[in-house]
Amino acid sequence: MLAIFKKELKTYFLTLTGWIFLAVFLLVSGILFSTQLVFPGNSQYTMFLTGLLFIYVFVIPLLTMRIFTDEKRFGTDQLLLTGPSNLWGIVLGKFLAALAVFLITIAVTFIYPVLLSFHGKLDWPMIIGSYFGFILLGAAFIAIGVFISQVSEGVVSAAVLTLCAIVITFIIDFMQQYMPTTELSGLVWAVILIAIPLSWLYTSGKNWAVTAAVALVLAAVLLFTWFFGRSLFIGLIGKSMGWLSLSRRFGSFSIGILSLDAILYYLSFSGFFLFLTVQSLEKRRWS
Amino acid sequence: MIRAVNLSRHFGRIEAVKNIDFHIRKGEIIGFLGPNGAGKSTTMNMITGYLAPSAGRISIDGIDIVDSPEDAKKLIGYMPEHPPLYLDLTVDEYLNFVTEFKKVPKSRRKAGLETIRDLVKIDDVRKRLIKNLSKGYRQRVGLAQALVGNPPLLILDEPTVGLDPKQIIEIRELIRDLGKEHTVVLSSHILPEIQATCHRILIIDKGRIVASDSPENLSGRLSGAFGAARQKLLIKGDAYAVRAALEKIPALGSLSAGKGPEDGLSEAVITAADEGDIREDVFRALAAADLPILQMGPMDLSLEEIFLNLTTDEEEA
Repeated sequence: MLAIFKKELKTYFLTLTGWIFLAVFLLVSGILFSTQLVFPGNSQYTMFLTGLLFIYVFVIPLLTMRIFTDEKRFGTDQLLLTGPSNLWGIVLGKFLAALAVFLITIAVTFIYPVLLSFHGKLDWPMIIGSYFGFILLGAAFIAIGVFISQVSEGVVSAAVLTLCAIVITFIIDFMQQYMPTTELSGLVWAVILIAIPLSWLYTSGKNWAVTAAVALVLAAVLLFTWFFGRSLFIGLIGKSMGWLSLSRRFGSFSIGILSLDAILYYLSFSGFFLFLTVQSLEKRRWS
Repeated sequence: MIRAVNLSRHFGRIEAVKNIDFHIRKGEIIGFLGPNGAGKSTTMNMITGYLAPSAGRISIDGIDIVDSPEDAKKLIGYMPEHPPLYLDLTVDEYLNFVTEFKKVPKSRRKAGLETIRDLVKIDDVRKRLIKNLSKGYRQRVGLAQALVGNPPLLILDEPTVGLDPKQIIEIRELIRDLGKEHTVVLSSHILPEIQATCHRILIIDKGRIVASDSPENLSGRLSGAFGAARQKLLIKGDAYAVRAALEKIPALGSLSAGKGPEDGLSEAVITAADEGDIREDVFRALAAADLPILQMGPMDLSLEEIFLNLTTDEEEA
């Protein structure tokens, strides 16, 4: 894992990718910093960080689009997958390298609040908390990007898909309120949600008996809920879409609260997408 | 060293490898020979754990590649058909990465890399970016990568493809040297290529092994079938006259004659009925008809013909 991490980090700065990421991020954040805080004489730094979130839409694809697509394009995945390393080592090494480039960039932006502090009083715990949330959110987006670069065929499609995925997590809060909230719609949605892991279970094991057994158990649970706790289905679509709303959980950080469930949420979200990446790498070997 | 049992692999509905068995002993140099798309690379990708077999098992030195991939992969050095090179790194940076990635102990890294650089002769390009290297050097860096960690088993997929004749000879000699201490499996679609280096040849066609033998026995089998009994001729004279003259040979098996490459010349391919030597008969027949023989020689067997020959042999047997 360490070997991959070091090589990836080096490659980011040997090629232009790392530098472009750094430049775009600092340019955009610098412009916003000047126009929103410095010129108007404003010291609301956490507001500035919240406003800066949209930058992820453009810079995360830049960071992650090549991670696996280039390996496939140049055939170097054959070296990685035939070496004595497990898949988690490969995926984590790459993820952490992208995260490191991101952290280096974030570290540079720390100059901004320091500059501000010369001219006014800042609420440091709140700023640190916001940074913490900012980084966790970035890590989750990077994990999505890593997964998408593994499943897409080319660099461009990886970048576009990652961009779309990040946009969706931003607008999902907004879309949520237009989803049907009836019990029946909730049931249909639950069936769809259950069908996805079941189909994964079947394709990965090709075992009808196990798949059918799991399907039966889940169907029983669904039926039980339908008859004894029907209210759970109300607004289920909206609720489950809310699980994907990454930016909403940032709110608690920006008011200076380090909420454990938000931290766990981001970490498990990143972990889940890295798990999907490992599964996808494993699946490529079989299909 | 390698034992493959009932190995199959399909991609969707296409069966790339069909139920093959082979056993490769320690210290052997084995050649996989077959036309493009025969299943050589697929088989090698399965041995190295890049692809999982659809059915069957492979073990390396007794370790199953699917059950304990990390232990088995430590024993293998693999050079795929396209060398897996990171073009943005220099040769040294790349080999250092591979050494670390393959978990070579720190104490052995420096000396190991020096030996490899000497062996594949890349010492003079070590500071250069891989993307600026020529095809021949890239191939050597790819080979160097496979040698990192001194694995007992080397899998080389078409190691000489795209090289010039001088480089091909160098790589061949290198493979023969490596064969003294390693088990080597290499693949090619060129027969002489494999004849020159291997102890044993596995011929693969359409996903099956159609022959497994030493190069000497194999070429013996092939020339025994066709050697002196099949001749290609260039004759001065009209094709009709040539045909008429040659048809008088009693031992004639088959004959085809046609216009030659220049005016006034004809070409003919002739085989004997009983697979015997027909050359003297041909000379006498044409001399009697006053048709000078300009060239006569055994017909070169193209790889396709060898396959045709072997596959039909197998079906008859």
